[in-house]
Amino acid sequence: MSRKPALLLIPGLVFILFGFAIPSAIMLLAPPSTDTADVFLRFGAMLTDPYDLAIIWRTVRIGLIVTAACVVLGFPIAYLLARSTSRFAGMWLALAIFPLLLSNVVRTFGWLVILGSQGAFGQLLVVLGITDQPPQLLYTELAIVLGLIQLFLPLAVISCYSAVAQVDAGLDHAARGLGATKSQTLWQIVIPLSRPGILIAGTLVFAGATTAYTTPYLLGGSSQRMLSTQLFSYASVSVDWAAASATALIMTMLVFLVSGLSSLISRKAGVTS
Amino acid sequence: MKGRPILGTLAVLGYVIMIVPILFVVSTAFTAGDALTFPPQGVSLRWFGEALAYQPFVGALLSSLQLAVVSTALALLLGVPVTLAIQRGKIPGKSLVEGLFLSPLVVPELVVGLALYQQIMIGLHQTSFVALLVGHTVLLLPYAVRVTGASLALADPAVEEAARGLGASPLRTFFSVTLPLLRPGIFSAGLLSFVTSFNNVPLSLLLQSRQFRTLPVTMLDYVQQSYDPMIAAMSTLILAGTVVIAIVAEKTLGFAKIFGGINK
Repeated sequence: MSRKPALLLIPGLVFILFGFAIPSAIMLLAPPSTDTADVFLRFGAMLTDPYDLAIIWRTVRIGLIVTAACVVLGFPIAYLLARSTSRFAGMWLALAIFPLLLSNVVRTFGWLVILGSQGAFGQLLVVLGITDQPPQLLYTELAIVLGLIQLFLPLAVISCYSAVAQVDAGLDHAARGLGATKSQTLWQIVIPLSRPGILIAGTLVFAGATTAYTTPYLLGGSSQRMLSTQLFSYASVSVDWAAASATALIMTMLVFLVSGLSSLISRKAGVTS
Repeated sequence: MKGRPILGTLAVLGYVIMIVPILFVVSTAFTAGDALTFPPQGVSLRWFGEALAYQPFVGALLSSLQLAVVSTALALLLGVPVTLAIQRGKIPGKSLVEGLFLSPLVVPELVVGLALYQQIMIGLHQTSFVALLVGHTVLLLPYAVRVTGASLALADPAVEEAARGLGASPLRTFFSVTLPLLRPGIFSAGLLSFVTSFNNVPLSLLLQSRQFRTLPVTMLDYVQQSYDPMIAAMSTLILAGTVVIAIVAEKTLGFAKIFGGINK
């Protein structure tokens, strides 16, 4: 086998080059019947146009909020489960991972039922006498943020869980035995040692949240455009290849920037520790 | 959770956000009324009947299953040999090659979808199914390479060398030593691939045609036009199918093992 690795590699390599790498590069830089110069002109224009900048900023802002929320909610779940001695811990972990297998469309529909004009939350507010009219919750940034947290929290839980599980629980006991409080143990032992996993969690969530399509489409509508919904509209509604490529470039660069930054940080941390 | 009020509260809040919306979908699917409202009016199975009799959903479900099975098979067929080459062969630029096969995880799916739409559907005049098959397979290759790779990396190559040393042919060694070592990895990768393809929206949306449209895309379309409990019933049926897959996964390899390979 080791004598002919090329033979094993070539079919897959051909497929990924011609089915992915080359078409993506062509789409980003030289879409059909469009000058590459046009793509970069549109790219430049988008970075100065207030409407486009608002979409870029909304995408980044939502990405950051969702990332922070997923780490803040996901780490405690991972930590409590990793340190739990309950025989139900495995079941709770499975419950946190399960949504990853479930269709995004199905998961996002739930928010339509909760936040819609006839939805549960609005009616609850009316019944409680807090408002007379159910408030407009759908097609807001809040709706997108909630939908994306639901979507990506399981990913954050998995990454944090495998990181915390690698930190020897004996270290916790040692710290506690030496007089550290529970929160000191958490902040000074567990969190620093599981930082690589937390970083991976954050990167995965940010990349997912800034490129997700279903959630901003269903919960944000046309009033809360993100880069993904904007890209789709350029590609299939206005069929403006130059603008679609420019939007795709911005989205791709954003994701690459963040994952590059994250691997730089983890490499630096690896050198110093 | 005892004695950790802040962590406990955050964890509960996390579970509420992950699970409660799904419960709302399920509860509205059983309504007897005509509107997608909460609380549901009465209990009935009528919307399940309507969903299963609605031709666009049934046709799309079959399309989705067909695409998921074929693209999973193709991704494993292409990806497992790549894993073998990366893990066992001596190839130059190993990490570069591995990086290339994992890169579909990083590049936004809409970018891949639009690229294939322009190159394959417009440029080469291929059908929507061909474009979708290429797109989904590309998307699944990282699982085929990384998840099976993770199970192979744990196995000692000395076992295979021993088989060869004892006179087994390379083919025999592969089928009676390497393949059994790979089996859990292939199973996990296959399961993740199937689910990923079945649930995909961005590629399936951009590469759809009137002849071939997947279920998630059809459901997205439907909810824009009519907002009734049939969509909740279809969602609940998908949930039920997913629960079955999850139970199979948990009983055979265990969730933690299957998902452990993703972000290592």
